[in-house]
Amino acid sequence: MSELSLPNIAESTDVDYSERGMQHQHTAAAADMPAVAAAFRTAGYSLEHITCLDLRQVEGIGAFRLDYQFNPVEGPVDRHVVQAVVAEGQAATSIAGIFAAADWYEREVFDMHGVDVSGHPDLKRILMPDGYTGFPLRKDFVDEDPERHQLSGVVLEPGAVPGDEPAAEEGADEV
Amino acid sequence: MMRPKSTMELVPGDDETYYLNMGPQHPSTHGVLRLRLHLEGERILGAEPVIGYGHRAHEKMAENRDYLQFLPNTSRIDYLSGMIYNLGYCQAIEKAMQIEVPERAEYIRVICAELNRLTSHLLWLGTYLLDLGGFTPFLYAFDDREKLLDILDSVTGSRLTYSYGRFGGVSMDVDDTFLRAAADYCTYFRKRIDEYHALVTHNIIFRHRTKGVGVMGPQLALDYGVSGPCLRAAGVARDLRKDEPYGIYDRFAFDIVTAEGGDCFARHMVRMGEMEQSLNIIEQAVGGIPDGPVLAAKVPKRIRPPAGEHYFAVESARGHFGMYLRSDGTDVPVRLKLRTPSFVHVATMPVVLPGTMLADTVAILGSIDIVIPEIDR
Repeated sequence: MSELSLPNIAESTDVDYSERGMQHQHTAAAADMPAVAAAFRTAGYSLEHITCLDLRQVEGIGAFRLDYQFNPVEGPVDRHVVQAVVAEGQAATSIAGIFAAADWYEREVFDMHGVDVSGHPDLKRILMPDGYTGFPLRKDFVDEDPERHQLSGVVLEPGAVPGDEPAAEEGADEV
Repeated sequence: MMRPKSTMELVPGDDETYYLNMGPQHPSTHGVLRLRLHLEGERILGAEPVIGYGHRAHEKMAENRDYLQFLPNTSRIDYLSGMIYNLGYCQAIEKAMQIEVPERAEYIRVICAELNRLTSHLLWLGTYLLDLGGFTPFLYAFDDREKLLDILDSVTGSRLTYSYGRFGGVSMDVDDTFLRAAADYCTYFRKRIDEYHALVTHNIIFRHRTKGVGVMGPQLALDYGVSGPCLRAAGVARDLRKDEPYGIYDRFAFDIVTAEGGDCFARHMVRMGEMEQSLNIIEQAVGGIPDGPVLAAKVPKRIRPPAGEHYFAVESARGHFGMYLRSDGTDVPVRLKLRTPSFVHVATMPVVLPGTMLADTVAILGSIDIVIPEIDR
């Protein structure tokens, strides 16, 4: 195992482990992620998970952010989270060739947030059915099924979903 | 590094191979998991797990309700270690908000979490032997598990979906009857472990079915992030209760149980050893539990973790369960990612299964102790 030296990192901050549960946060360009992941792997770090965050409503910019979390396989905890911003409509770069675990995590990001991942060996839905349309963890997600739309958190105008028109008010034209 | 073989790769000119769907409705997949197997006779050439049949959108639900309202969901993610997940979620929020938990509550949490680990391992032992065709151990294991569920039921009012934790402590205090029952169970179960070894571990058929079968080496920790008993069976002493102690686990003397070989038998031995260690922890906790309140006096009325990212992980019965929280300082999380161990373990099947026999699939799948609801979430 060699010492960890990270290439292509735009910005790094140390965070308080006792409050945050992680030691370091980094920012990197999405296209540089394979190089960053390879550096972690060389130093004996494993990929703990990949998470996606819909920045469009959180920070008001038209992008998604992928958070990659790394921790050493052996020895004391040294948790790094690398954040890579992907503009809406752009593709993230796959690291499945470096960490096999990324294969499923990237499929989940695609499935749930609709972020394309270039270089992925077999990018397809993982949790939702194959023919499904829409990306459930996007903040503006509206399920087309009227019975399930309350899950989305988006308050629908009456009539926005077919079959959900408000009933005509009874006795409206009396008096 | 190891790359899974694609199930779509047919051997050229070879028409003796075929595909077989194991599941989604199959008793040995322990839920609705589908394995798409590529076979040549009974030899497995490739395997592709197809998941998502039990997807319940827990992460989406977390974004649409406040922190307390999500609490009941946590015991339903991995329903077999519901207590560990439930208490882990409370600890995650407490750590983010720096809430002090009273001593007594910390001890109760350790006792309940370890009792829960015992129930989970016992259920695994029973159903695993059932998978392999041995019916009798199932009856013994479920009988012992039932006694544990009664103990947990007496304090939480629930057998599986406990929701016992609260931010700042636990919902109800335990009485002496509970503590005595937990201590008595430890005495009783120590003798039982020897009987399980005589009945199962020393059984020649069991050994033939599990030794050298389904080897998951330490390399999978780097490639996939395998954790829990599956990793310790490969000889890697990694346990979050020791490596990243949460709660008061650093006060108890217990060993990280490891085994050599990384096969199904090693995973069995690790879980048997872990049950013994859980007994050690419970006995120490019951002996040292102080009097006092079980809920912190100063818990903010509105749960609003500070803005930013937080991560918290606990050692569940299956391995590393982590919660990645992005908060914006309001009552509702922006994002709560649940990192579950079974998701990782079932993802390794494309590299673990090829080369084995079809009958071993059941033995291997059972030995990694998957829980489908935590894969699908």
